Amino acid sequence: MTSVPPDEPGSFASTLQPSRAHQRFALLILCILVLALALAIPFADVSLTGSEIWLPAYASAITVSDTITAALIFSAFSILRSRALLVLGIGYLFAAATTVPWALTFPGVFAADGLLGANLQSTAVVAAAKRVGFPLFVLCFVLLKDRPVPATARPRVVIWTSVAAVLAGVCALTWLAVDGGALLPRFMQGPQQVAALWTAVPVTAAVFCVAGIAVLAVRRKSVLDLWLLVVLAAWLIELFMLAFVSGGERFSLGWWAGRVYGLAAASVVLLVLLWETTTLHIRLAQAVAAEERTRTRQLSTMEALSASVAHEVNQPLSSMVTNADAGLRWLDRSEPNLSEASAAFGRIISDGHRAGQVITSIRSMFRKDTQEWAPVSVAGLIDEAVLLTQDEARFARVSVVTASSGDLPAVIGDRVRLQQVLVNLIANALDAMHAVNDRARLLNISAERDGGGDLIVAVADTGQGLDPQLDGTLFEPFTTTKPDGMGMGLLICRSIIEAHGGRLWAENHTPHGAVFRFALPASAQHQQATGSA
Amino acid sequence: MIPGPAIVYVVDDDASVRDSLSSLLRSVGLQVMAFARPADFVDADRPDLPGCLVLDVRLPGQSGLEFQRSLADWNVAMPIVFITGHGDIPMSVSAMKAGAIEFLTKPFRDQDLLDAVHKGIAGDAKRREETAVLADDQARYDRLTPREQEIMAQIVAGQLNKQIAADLAIAEVTVKAHRAQVMRKMKARSLPDLVRIADRLGDLRRKA
Repeated sequence: MTSVPPDEPGSFASTLQPSRAHQRFALLILCILVLALALAIPFADVSLTGSEIWLPAYASAITVSDTITAALIFSAFSILRSRALLVLGIGYLFAAATTVPWALTFPGVFAADGLLGANLQSTAVVAAAKRVGFPLFVLCFVLLKDRPVPATARPRVVIWTSVAAVLAGVCALTWLAVDGGALLPRFMQGPQQVAALWTAVPVTAAVFCVAGIAVLAVRRKSVLDLWLLVVLAAWLIELFMLAFVSGGERFSLGWWAGRVYGLAAASVVLLVLLWETTTLHIRLAQAVAAEERTRTRQLSTMEALSASVAHEVNQPLSSMVTNADAGLRWLDRSEPNLSEASAAFGRIISDGHRAGQVITSIRSMFRKDTQEWAPVSVAGLIDEAVLLTQDEARFARVSVVTASSGDLPAVIGDRVRLQQVLVNLIANALDAMHAVNDRARLLNISAERDGGGDLIVAVADTGQGLDPQLDGTLFEPFTTTKPDGMGMGLLICRSIIEAHGGRLWAENHTPHGAVFRFALPASAQHQQATGSA
Repeated sequence: MIPGPAIVYVVDDDASVRDSLSSLLRSVGLQVMAFARPADFVDADRPDLPGCLVLDVRLPGQSGLEFQRSLADWNVAMPIVFITGHGDIPMSVSAMKAGAIEFLTKPFRDQDLLDAVHKGIAGDAKRREETAVLADDQARYDRLTPREQEIMAQIVAGQLNKQIAADLAIAEVTVKAHRAQVMRKMKARSLPDLVRIADRLGDLRRKA
């Protein structure tokens, strides 16, 4: 069983391959950060007294930046359904949320001892949780990111649950930091000076960062991976500045430098994500417009075709009616004119043959010479059809699952026509799931052998199911449930499958949706059948 | 059903439709001339009989509706019955506005076509009759002397003999003589009859 997520090639920062320009830009940012570190080291312990008033501005900037980043990542998760992205989004939201109590409890900013009834340890406890928590979430993302994507139902519910859990967690943390009393670790020895115990925090966080950087350096695949690498590096530099260069002294130049570089790195990442998202949106809009144009073109071609078919059939039909009328009138005269009447009947016969020829030529459009038939692998056929429709599937937010049993025989047939059938059935299934919001949109395509040795291919959706009113007319011409449908698709599908000696039928699927199945004779039987025919 | 002989012209590019229409129309005693292209109809030597044109909307080279407009431009006042395989409402509306008698969608009921054709022929016969009367009037009018034409204009304008005589500075008795000549030459039975004839001629002059 293979699972094809509806997202394979790049449409998102988490799936897009980084280009050379991306890599160079990321490297440039890293160099600037390192250079800034080197420049700041000599002045690190200069104390900037009175700079407390800048802390709320810094905290708001970080909170907004991290919240937007989290929102962007959650929106990517809602489409791609990757758990790794969920974890990363939670990490960013956690970082954003902890900044709020951190700033509020900071001594000497909003109040001499901090708001919320903070004690000496409150701010440091919150800061420690953030310092260690964020790299931990990123590390989890890095470890999860290459796992296969399970079909997650209701991403929206998952996202809101996560958001609620993070906010609840941060509230609990704040309460603990304020009212924890003796339980709290003694990180600070004064409002500005850290205690020896604090060293454990940056060291632990640095270990997570280094681990994350190491794994990302090896398994870096996407634009998001690349920029997370930069974020972790910036985070590491910030830790280094805050904990070691500034000697733990709050509001020193080194302390502020760490803050500012961290903010700069976060902003760059946010800008890159926004830029990617906007570019991808433009590309998506263009692709949709292009697809729309193609559809309109196809539709008008079909309309022109059907108008021409209608004219071709109507012409002899009309002339038959008129000839029959004329014939009756010749016979009804007081002196029946038999030669005129028989001429009229003769014309009716030739008109009938002419109408028949029109029908034959239409039929031949949907049928191909069996001489060109070749062995076709059904598993390959399914993979190709899934590939051809993956853009539509992604756009419809449908997860596609394919399953074929191992030793499937090849069938003799027309590869292109069979492809057409599968693509048509897949497109129908995607359309049927358009209005589904309360359950997973799942398209299941499977192939197996039945007891008689025939190959059965099933296309099952979790959509609306078959309309009972259409029962029996599903495969007839001009039967359609789509506002702009021609009602020819299933008719053509069935005629192709029947031309291959097979059958196509549909039934409702439990608990939801419809399943279309077609049976094809396996190649050996097929050759026998055509040989005897 | 038709007083006197009449002819129906069928223009359709489809030979089998053309043959079936001809047969149907001949079966009720109509003369038929069938053409594949509008140009053939225009070039044909058509008999001088009341007639009707049965036209397919979809024609080679020129659509039936364009052809209808060309006929109007050439002053060919033949009634037209349209038949079409793909009639839509805007198309039939514009055809009817341009003077078509009927717009039939294939396949049509034979009686509908025959009714429309008979209506067309009757209309054409009436139009031809009116044209003939008018031509007679014109010929008679042309035979009047300039002085008689002058006096006729005054009579129909409601002038009395005395006024005409004063106006033209001639004797009233001379006016009376001219007036009698005008009534005789124009075959007018009464003064109102003469006024009607003058009206018809006036219409003709305005149209020209």
